[in-house]
Amino acid sequence: MKMNNSQLMLFVLAVCFSFAAPASASESGKGKKAAQLELKNPAYAGPWERYKGWPETSWSEFSTLQKIVPSPIGKTIKIKGSIEGDPKKGEKLAFDRSRGGSCLACHVMGNPIPSLPGNVGLDLSAHAIWGRSDEYIFNYIFDPRKTNPNTVMPPWGAHKLFSVEEIKDIVAFLKTQKTHSVFKDNLENPTTRPVPEETRDNLDPFVNEAMAAMEKGKELYSREGPNKQSCTTCHAEPERMFKSWAAGMPKYESCLRKVIGVEEFITRHARATTGDDFLMQSDENLALSVYLRFLTNGEPMNVDAKSKDHKLAIKRGTKLLNTKLGQLNLACVDCHTAEKGGNKWIRGQWLGEFRGQMDHFPTWRTSRSEIWDINKRFQWCNVSVRANELPPGSPEYGDIELTLSVLNNGQKISVPGIRH
Amino acid sequence: MAEEMKMRATLQGDITDVKVRMNHIMETGARKDPKTGKLIPPHFIDQVVATLNGKTVLDAQWGIAISRNPFIGFKVKGAKVGDKIVVNAVDNLGTKFSGEVAVAAR
Repeated sequence: MKMNNSQLMLFVLAVCFSFAAPASASESGKGKKAAQLELKNPAYAGPWERYKGWPETSWSEFSTLQKIVPSPIGKTIKIKGSIEGDPKKGEKLAFDRSRGGSCLACHVMGNPIPSLPGNVGLDLSAHAIWGRSDEYIFNYIFDPRKTNPNTVMPPWGAHKLFSVEEIKDIVAFLKTQKTHSVFKDNLENPTTRPVPEETRDNLDPFVNEAMAAMEKGKELYSREGPNKQSCTTCHAEPERMFKSWAAGMPKYESCLRKVIGVEEFITRHARATTGDDFLMQSDENLALSVYLRFLTNGEPMNVDAKSKDHKLAIKRGTKLLNTKLGQLNLACVDCHTAEKGGNKWIRGQWLGEFRGQMDHFPTWRTSRSEIWDINKRFQWCNVSVRANELPPGSPEYGDIELTLSVLNNGQKISVPGIRH
Repeated sequence: MAEEMKMRATLQGDITDVKVRMNHIMETGARKDPKTGKLIPPHFIDQVVATLNGKTVLDAQWGIAISRNPFIGFKVKGAKVGDKIVVNAVDNLGTKFSGEVAVAAR
């Protein structure tokens, strides 16, 4: 039989032996045994389609984590004299939640101020007395990068979120903002609003519905697959064998040339062993992932940051965290580092820092009645900044998961988590 | 098979707080299978009866508006530590489920 190079590669790569999973009890004396992984097929149901109920817009003209679309900063647009816009229309646009959150998401403004304004940006309630020219305000909204290269503010005009006429109306509205903000209580004021704290008992099955998935995972663990094998065949005593395994995930997988987390590992390892096809984002995959992470509860996250492959992945991941994405032109660091938008409010939502965000995944989302693994969380972040998401298990998500996990090393795992 | 029902009953003063979580798919019959495009047949719990030492304390008729893996919480007066609370449920296909728990001190 004649094979060309790529066929030969496929053949060689069809099954891989990794050193990522713990050996079974009977073989523990010999140290760690290689784990088999299936490598040929995607680990998700392809071709990838966005989840039902999510925004349907495609933002292909803007950057994603995989593909950078250049976003040039244009020249200052000349405005002769003063801008005569409609302040009423401008107010409506400034408060419009359907346009990328609009001004109120980050700025205090309005007479009266609508409920729960954010504080990522400056308080603009007395903006009219700052003495800015109309041309300056117009251009700052159109593309603030011209004036402030370090800004996190989206280029509303340059990225076509608002038209020139609409921005003129917003300028007219800002010119009416003449009195300093007064809040009726500490909750309304974003600078005094208490930081939200999750106090629900996430391991109480009457509180957290994902505990049912943990039990389902436990059941799947000992269920025989098409190859008449179950997880138990090789890994008896899961409580002991998997006491700390998931705390060290994700890992770089040389056969796949990317970082994979618990979820993709489950898919590929099950295909190569029990014969089950637990696609990423399926109920079965999530249940097993919850169960394997649940077994590590109380363990500190302990992801390797020293090996050569992981150092390279962290370098790539750090670059990705700083990459501007989507129509809103936001990088992860823009919203989740304290130097920028982190530890502040966008409307009623608190933007947390990177540390503290990883130890509870997969997590139950009470606002959605769904279990979200970290891939789905990243996908939602992408869609929120109006950037097309990548399929689960994309190498970019792996690099980010690894980078964030290393930043979270030492945090005690508590899975399944529970969040709004 | 995971437990059909998970129950907890705790005595708080004179009142017993009962919590029940049932494992059930609760199909409405109005949902389509995304792969085949065909309607998924209805399969939901339609009767729930709770008893305290054999005496009915709650009798409910459920329908398709109840969520998957339903949760029900209720309070009963007059129970003592060790009393038996039983919940019996029947779905539209006639399958019976039950769970029981002894009242515990807080």
